[in-house]
Amino acid sequence: MRPSAAHRQIALAAVAGFGLAIWAFPVIWGVLTSFKTERDVLAYPPVWLFKPTLDSYREVLFGASSILPNIVSSCIVSLSATIITMLFALPASYALARLRYPAKRASGFYVLVTQMLPPVGLIIPYYLVLQRIGWLDTYTGLTIIYLTFSLPFAVWLMVSYFEDIPFEMEEAALLDRAGRLRTLWYVILPQVRGGIAVTAIFVFLNAWNEFMFAVVLGGNRVRPVTVAMFNFISVEQTQWSRLAAGAILAMLPVILIGIFAQRHIVKGLTVGAVKGGGRR
Amino acid sequence: MKGRSTGPSRRDVLSEGVKLGVAGLLAHQLPSSAFAQDDLAPYRTAKIDWKQADGEQITVAVIPASYFENLISLQPQFEALTGIKLRFEKVPPGQIRQKALLDLSSKTATYATHAADPMYYPLYVSNKWVEPLDRYLSDASLTDAEWFNYNDIIKAWRDADSIDGKPYGIPYDGEVTVQVYRKDLYAEKGLKAADTYDELITNAKALTDANARTYGLALRGFAGAGQNMYIYPSLLRGFGGNWGGGGNIVVNSSEAVSALTWYVNTLGQYSPPAVRNWNWPDIADAFSQGTVATYIDAHSSAAVINNPEKSKVVGKIAYARWPKGPSGKRVTSIWNWGFPINAALSDKAKKATWLFITWAASAETQARTSWKFAGPAKRSGINRVSLWKSADFADAMKGAGDNFIQAALESLEQDTDVDWRPRVPQWPAVGETMATAIQAALVGQKPPKEALDEAQARIQQILKG
Amino acid sequence: MPRPHVSTLESQERRFALALFFPALAVLLLTTTVPLVYLAWNSLYRLDLSMPWLSGFTGLGNYTKMGSDPRFWNSLFLTLIYTGSTVVLQVVIGLSLALLVLRFPGGQGLLRIAAILPIVLAPVVVGMFWRTLVLAPDVGLVDLVTRSVGLGSHNWLGDPQLALISVIAIHTWQWTPFAFLVLLATLATLPADVYEAARLDRASAWQRFRYITLPLIRPAIVMVLILRMMTALSAFAAIFAATGGGPGSSTEILNLYAYRTSFSELNLGYGSSLAMVLMSITIAISYLMFRLRRARA
Repeated sequence: MRPSAAHRQIALAAVAGFGLAIWAFPVIWGVLTSFKTERDVLAYPPVWLFKPTLDSYREVLFGASSILPNIVSSCIVSLSATIITMLFALPASYALARLRYPAKRASGFYVLVTQMLPPVGLIIPYYLVLQRIGWLDTYTGLTIIYLTFSLPFAVWLMVSYFEDIPFEMEEAALLDRAGRLRTLWYVILPQVRGGIAVTAIFVFLNAWNEFMFAVVLGGNRVRPVTVAMFNFISVEQTQWSRLAAGAILAMLPVILIGIFAQRHIVKGLTVGAVKGGGRR
Repeated sequence: MKGRSTGPSRRDVLSEGVKLGVAGLLAHQLPSSAFAQDDLAPYRTAKIDWKQADGEQITVAVIPASYFENLISLQPQFEALTGIKLRFEKVPPGQIRQKALLDLSSKTATYATHAADPMYYPLYVSNKWVEPLDRYLSDASLTDAEWFNYNDIIKAWRDADSIDGKPYGIPYDGEVTVQVYRKDLYAEKGLKAADTYDELITNAKALTDANARTYGLALRGFAGAGQNMYIYPSLLRGFGGNWGGGGNIVVNSSEAVSALTWYVNTLGQYSPPAVRNWNWPDIADAFSQGTVATYIDAHSSAAVINNPEKSKVVGKIAYARWPKGPSGKRVTSIWNWGFPINAALSDKAKKATWLFITWAASAETQARTSWKFAGPAKRSGINRVSLWKSADFADAMKGAGDNFIQAALESLEQDTDVDWRPRVPQWPAVGETMATAIQAALVGQKPPKEALDEAQARIQQILKG
Repeated sequence: MPRPHVSTLESQERRFALALFFPALAVLLLTTTVPLVYLAWNSLYRLDLSMPWLSGFTGLGNYTKMGSDPRFWNSLFLTLIYTGSTVVLQVVIGLSLALLVLRFPGGQGLLRIAAILPIVLAPVVVGMFWRTLVLAPDVGLVDLVTRSVGLGSHNWLGDPQLALISVIAIHTWQWTPFAFLVLLATLATLPADVYEAARLDRASAWQRFRYITLPLIRPAIVMVLILRMMTALSAFAAIFAATGGGPGSSTEILNLYAYRTSFSELNLGYGSSLAMVLMSITIAISYLMFRLRRARA
């Protein structure tokens, strides 16, 4: 028994190591590239030991095509989208999960389905409408458009959290003659604090990573990092090192969130799974 | 009073002298505004009122590229000259055509002008989305014909931006495809720059050693209307082919098949295997690392291969014109980024846009974005023949390699062909279809004839609508 | 017990519920109905920007044209392959990895952090990254590996067959960690005593898996399947950045075909009808999944 258990340990470790490599390595490779000079990037055989340089980062952060304003732009868009989404989604998902009202099933399905609309078909009408209202290249305009995919997603996610709470809680509060609103605020919401955090994180991530809407509906003022990164792929040359540096910086916030909130994220994802979606 | 009608009196001269003296003194005391006045002096010699659209605001869409960056840095000068508020928006190259199209077709007038792909003018014009510029050029209040000298702009580019003889865009920056080769490697083997396609192949053969990872030749292979469909048309014309005519497009003529077959075979035998995915920056990178000995592509790639940070071949480069194809023709590209005027603008905005265009395309601005530019990137794709021939330009480009200006200029003057690609409104779809067909042949998915026949069928369908 | 009290309570609940639900519904109606109507309207017209003289009402003409359009059926086929293979791969790989790693509470931490990285990256960045740094012939990571093991250099994104495999690989790379993390967490919550009983009964590892583990984690697997399928169907940015739908049409899933038709070929009418079809398919599948989920519960 002993020897094969040891073999098993090693095999398992190898597999796990392999998994680690596959998932982390491209990112590590990107980080390495961002510290190389352009010459080293193109060198073959590839160099592992090289003299690292901060030039690319300096250029990307402070140079002519600095992406600092773009990071700010992404922050504004993502934060406002997240806050507004949660404001609308929380009450709606509570209603969907716990309350009875007419046409509930149909409207619930409608909310779910709106996140399935292909962006391809939506870009042109959005462009025209925003232009008419004068909201092209504005934070207001872009945030509202982002709601179209954030809101249904947030609702769907929060529904499973709300469904987790035992009904007895509400019934008890109601019997105590507490109003419905106060029940929601003081009794129910604290229970789903974790869920709210997780949902907010996901909404933020999705907003930060959005590309298509940002490039068509944004412009000079509203220019998130996902668009700005293409500054380094020009028709003249691909500035590999700067591209890598730009990409790393653009993704740094979400990577940090991912690493630090990893436990919560996973917990949030499993809620719906374990309970099988909950029941009424 | 009454008696002083003839000639300046002593007093007048004195007062004039004092004024001049004071002005001179002030010029030294107030550097900024005085220098601004001097800086703009070359523009002010134009006999037009630069301030006639004062207060207007225009947005110009461009791609991120050094030749536009240089222009963007001169924006304060334009604003000081005209009083027009100028904003640039940098759109990724993959999106700029779409964004411009969206704006033009929905008449939202977001972009007063944009860096336009010359192949799109037939589309723009058939939809009446851009202004015919002849009336702007002939209007003396808007254009000082002598100062602007429209005919000084490279003819091929002017023609590329015109439809039926009427200009719709003014070229700002352009390029010409030339042969670029390693003069040291050629000298070693006693080769000289190819003059015919066959010579190109013998040169390539002599310099290809797959085991040593050196290859004799590279041409763009990447699929795209502006990528492999950028080199193929030159080959097609070199073989004597054309795109059909009389409203019909024919892409599978026997010359077309020969050209494509040549393309496929050459890349297959003498280029790195990855070339099928390469766009010109990749080729330039490979050349600068010594992997490739010859390539044919845009002259502006000189900046990349001469970059001491990346390149290992600085000082070993020479240039030549396209070799002659079996038909005896050399055909280079007529690519240029030009500025049209959005037809959906107000009249005053159109004037403002025209002022911007004349400013950008003027000899002075071209010089200021090229050899007079303070930064490292000096533009090599300037738009005027006189500037190409000037000593300043020659001086600025002397580090590029042997024969650079001569090869490029000769190509520009003699080897250009406006109908090198089919100028039809359906170009976007047609270009994509051809690019796909060429790719399919290059990767060996289909034999050239079959790929072209399929493309022909597809294009017929597109033309039918 | 007294009737009036119950119905007041009910109507009170209803009013409250509607008040809570309405704002979100209103926002969505506003922002989605207009584009939807516009899209449907356009799909009934012949609208080609490059041939303006052809414009006009065509009723269901665009849709009938689709029936005989080989590129459409190709895109449908590719969508099927893409979605199917990547989802299956994700679940299989994710589950296997989770099962294997289950015994390693120590090493899990590092692996989970590595796993979160692909998920949080923007798909457009992932696509671009893979195109430039990983799959580029010669300087790319994959090519370096294959060359050093003697498999030679390949045109990963330029060869039609390889391109499809590459984009499936990219998507799988990005989203398998999701399946892995969810299933790992689920497996960790399974009661240990059931296993003890099974072990005492001398059940083999495979039997334990099949008859105990699998049924217990079925809801999790279903949930993962649903979510991943939704993502795969609406995948756009990564493929767009990596291949643009090419070479030719070999990675042109329906999403990309609609985009190219509308934006590259400027055939807005036909492009709109393609988008409508895509939307119908996605809604149909969502509905099925929705029902499946309810049925399980």
